Amino acid sequence: MKLLAEYKYNPTEIVKGYNDRSLKIDISDLAISEKEIPQQMKEKFIGGKGFGLRYLWDAVTPETKWNSPENEIVISSGPVGGITQYPGSGKSLVVSLTPLNDTPMDSNVGGHFGPLLKFAGFDALEIIGKSAKELIVYIDGNENIVKIFESDIDKIDSHELSEELTDRFAADEIDKRNYSIVSTGSAARYSNVAMLNFTFYDVKRQKVRLKQAGRGGIGRVFNDKGLKALVVKYAGVKSDLNNPANIAKINRAGIRIHKEINRFDTAQNNMRKIGTANIIEVMNDYDLLPTHNFKFGAHEDVKYIESKVFIEKYITQDVPDGCWHGCSLSCAKAADDFEIMTGPYKGQKVIVDGPEYENAAALGSNIGIFCPRTILELNFYCDTYGIDTISFGTMVAFAMECYESGIYTKEDTNGLELNFGNIPHTLELIHQIASGEGFGKIVGMGVKYMKKYFIKNFNADPEFMFDIGMEQKGLEYSEYLSKESLAQQGGYGLTNKGPQHDEAWLIFMDMVNNQIPTFEDKAEALHYFPMFRTWFGLVGLCKLPWNDITPQSNATSKEPAKMPEHVQNYVDIYNGVTGKDVTIHDMIKESERVYNFQRIFNIRMGYGKRINDKTPYRSMGPVTEEEYLSRQDRYDKQLEELVGFDVSKSTQEKMKALREYRENQYELLTDAVYKRRGWSKNGVPTIEKLKDLEMDLPELIEVVKEHL
Amino acid sequence: MKILKFEKELCIGCHACEEACSELYFKSSDIKKARLKITEVVDDFNIFSGCNQCGECVNVCPEGALYQAKNGVIRMKKDLCVGCMMCVGYCDDFHYHDDYVEPFKCLSCGACARKCPTGALSMIDVEVSS
Amino acid sequence: MYKLNDRDEKYVNGITIADVIKEKKFTYKKLIVKVNGKFVDPINYDNYIIRDGDDVKIHHLLAGG
Repeated sequence: MKLLAEYKYNPTEIVKGYNDRSLKIDISDLAISEKEIPQQMKEKFIGGKGFGLRYLWDAVTPETKWNSPENEIVISSGPVGGITQYPGSGKSLVVSLTPLNDTPMDSNVGGHFGPLLKFAGFDALEIIGKSAKELIVYIDGNENIVKIFESDIDKIDSHELSEELTDRFAADEIDKRNYSIVSTGSAARYSNVAMLNFTFYDVKRQKVRLKQAGRGGIGRVFNDKGLKALVVKYAGVKSDLNNPANIAKINRAGIRIHKEINRFDTAQNNMRKIGTANIIEVMNDYDLLPTHNFKFGAHEDVKYIESKVFIEKYITQDVPDGCWHGCSLSCAKAADDFEIMTGPYKGQKVIVDGPEYENAAALGSNIGIFCPRTILELNFYCDTYGIDTISFGTMVAFAMECYESGIYTKEDTNGLELNFGNIPHTLELIHQIASGEGFGKIVGMGVKYMKKYFIKNFNADPEFMFDIGMEQKGLEYSEYLSKESLAQQGGYGLTNKGPQHDEAWLIFMDMVNNQIPTFEDKAEALHYFPMFRTWFGLVGLCKLPWNDITPQSNATSKEPAKMPEHVQNYVDIYNGVTGKDVTIHDMIKESERVYNFQRIFNIRMGYGKRINDKTPYRSMGPVTEEEYLSRQDRYDKQLEELVGFDVSKSTQEKMKALREYRENQYELLTDAVYKRRGWSKNGVPTIEKLKDLEMDLPELIEVVKEHL
Repeated sequence: MKILKFEKELCIGCHACEEACSELYFKSSDIKKARLKITEVVDDFNIFSGCNQCGECVNVCPEGALYQAKNGVIRMKKDLCVGCMMCVGYCDDFHYHDDYVEPFKCLSCGACARKCPTGALSMIDVEVSS
Repeated sequence: MYKLNDRDEKYVNGITIADVIKEKKFTYKKLIVKVNGKFVDPINYDNYIIRDGDDVKIHHLLAGG
């Protein structure tokens, strides 16, 4: 490949989790430089998503769009990222402006890139600018050199592209484990929901595996910039590379939870057998599995796609499937030698990374598909084409409901009959999305775009579009039914980036356990959990080992949902690496700083206030009569008990009354949450709150004072 | 292949076995660096921890660092080990020390048995695990 | 009446924890059961009889993927 630029840098030693240095690449003029990370930035932004947001803020103006040259893609792991003793310690956070909304997006991903980047010498990587040539960026952390090549590779989809790059760069089989590649696929040329794949090398299978920075369309930005791939190499990963302050603390915590997982995983969630897909049948049992565009919560055919089916027929067992070293939760399951039935890779026997729970619901029940083979085939193509599976499911489900409602016909789709459960036509659709052809080109733009398109071109009723189009802030909803949980409606709606469940997952606490009955209780949960959960994205950790395995001590805990023993583990490994002496309250405050920064960043970009926290009614209650009648007993009871409404009236009247009640409930919840978070009634962080957080930076005050 | 046999009635808790091991492998008299452990128990027999070379840990290691040598003993390729401690979490006969990244285990060398003054430790012949 | 997760439930004589779990279709495995504040071991679900007026908590520990 033609070498276009190179940059030699001095090796540094990581001190307590930090290089104190980041790498910046301007691909407009191939300028490579390094930046010192000042102490104040570390104090207030910690790392990971914090660093990403800080760099992005500095790079853009309120006029910047996702495809402006000054939009950046920032990748960063975090101070704890790269340890090997504790499960889930290799996460990277990717930050950019999303094509879905031109607002800041953060996307969380496994694989090896972020930690290897750190060991190569950089706490974060910023890419700015655009290139007319297709570029491959190569960072060699052992030779301490950065190279930019003009790509000569014609492979376009991640599974082949990553494999070829690994083969080309690695010296031999043993060396392959030292590389990680960031890439996307053909869909990134057209689709606003295109994502990024981050690889890790599976030494047992001797194959390249893909993990996804799924949410928010950053793959589209990557492609638009002219990036083909990022390659990082670092040989010599060891548990002490972070030069931790106190490795004993880390060793102790790691061994403790390894033992816990060995002892309890099989009886609890079976993560090592099937990963997060263990809850497919559970969600169905509790009427929470999104079915037919979030209309329903269960389906009689779920037995064809429950976790047992995947375990017994498709998913390889007894292989250590961690996506970073040392993950004993081992949930990155895969189907091996899976024969592809359709499309450009028909006949190939491939490895399918998944299905995670989200994939089984998005590529399954939500679009009416109950065939495990099809779910795996869609999973494979989403991954290699670079399509976010969650957005795929939710946007196709929307397209299907619109089709079944007669908003458009198969004349409009050139023959595609987008009924729920139409397997061959859904498979045809995904190939169209990837090639930017036909109706797929429209669907591939996401729910927000489709709503506008259907209103303009098919005379769709705007209110109906708003009600059933499951997106907010541009981002498609992830795969849980929040309809009967006010707390989860807030958990989805009162977020920074949109309805992704990384901030809060409160459905059971709310609906089943009834542990947060008042508005204040819910507001407290919508403060603590988002702040605790977003902390993982500052330091480079995966949240699954926090609560997808339960320690024995939980049985006697006053607040088992918080997993106190595991919280203590995190305090230990954080202090163990950084030498800090923080408590959980300090960690929450660290999160609050970045969280409020992100909120204000949204506001700076013309977004991010109360009006943007409004949610589609499908996320809150029954839009159609069919939905009301499917849960009639529950809804009638609620109307009688909570509203005092006469349930002998018509369904339409009852639906109207229920809707008024629920929309009002959401407004009251919003008030309570804003109050708890220290925000104005319009959802703007107050100056007092910023002072309290020591986040009263001049650029933040400048933004908020216009809106307070 | 040979593995360690422990006869608890004979163990006097002198730790000479552990010291022989830590001296041999780590040039240290710190018995916490031994590849076997004798835990003294008040009013009961001492507890022994040492590897019986069963090989279950080989599949547990995500790096492929553990392997069965020709003589049946389970050994570690240190350069492949990243120090994740999953083996230690899996089996109580795997040991570690904060001074070292890589954990360690008994290699059936017999040095401890030779040092044992009471014969509580000896080497016995067993079938190689498949 | 007895309370289940702070909601009123009709009391049926002799109802056990296992009966409630079955009736409510609580199929999820990670449950923490407490009656009047005292933890009930899962091995006792079948024979622990609830009394009229009891405060029963059957908390699910579900994380979400």
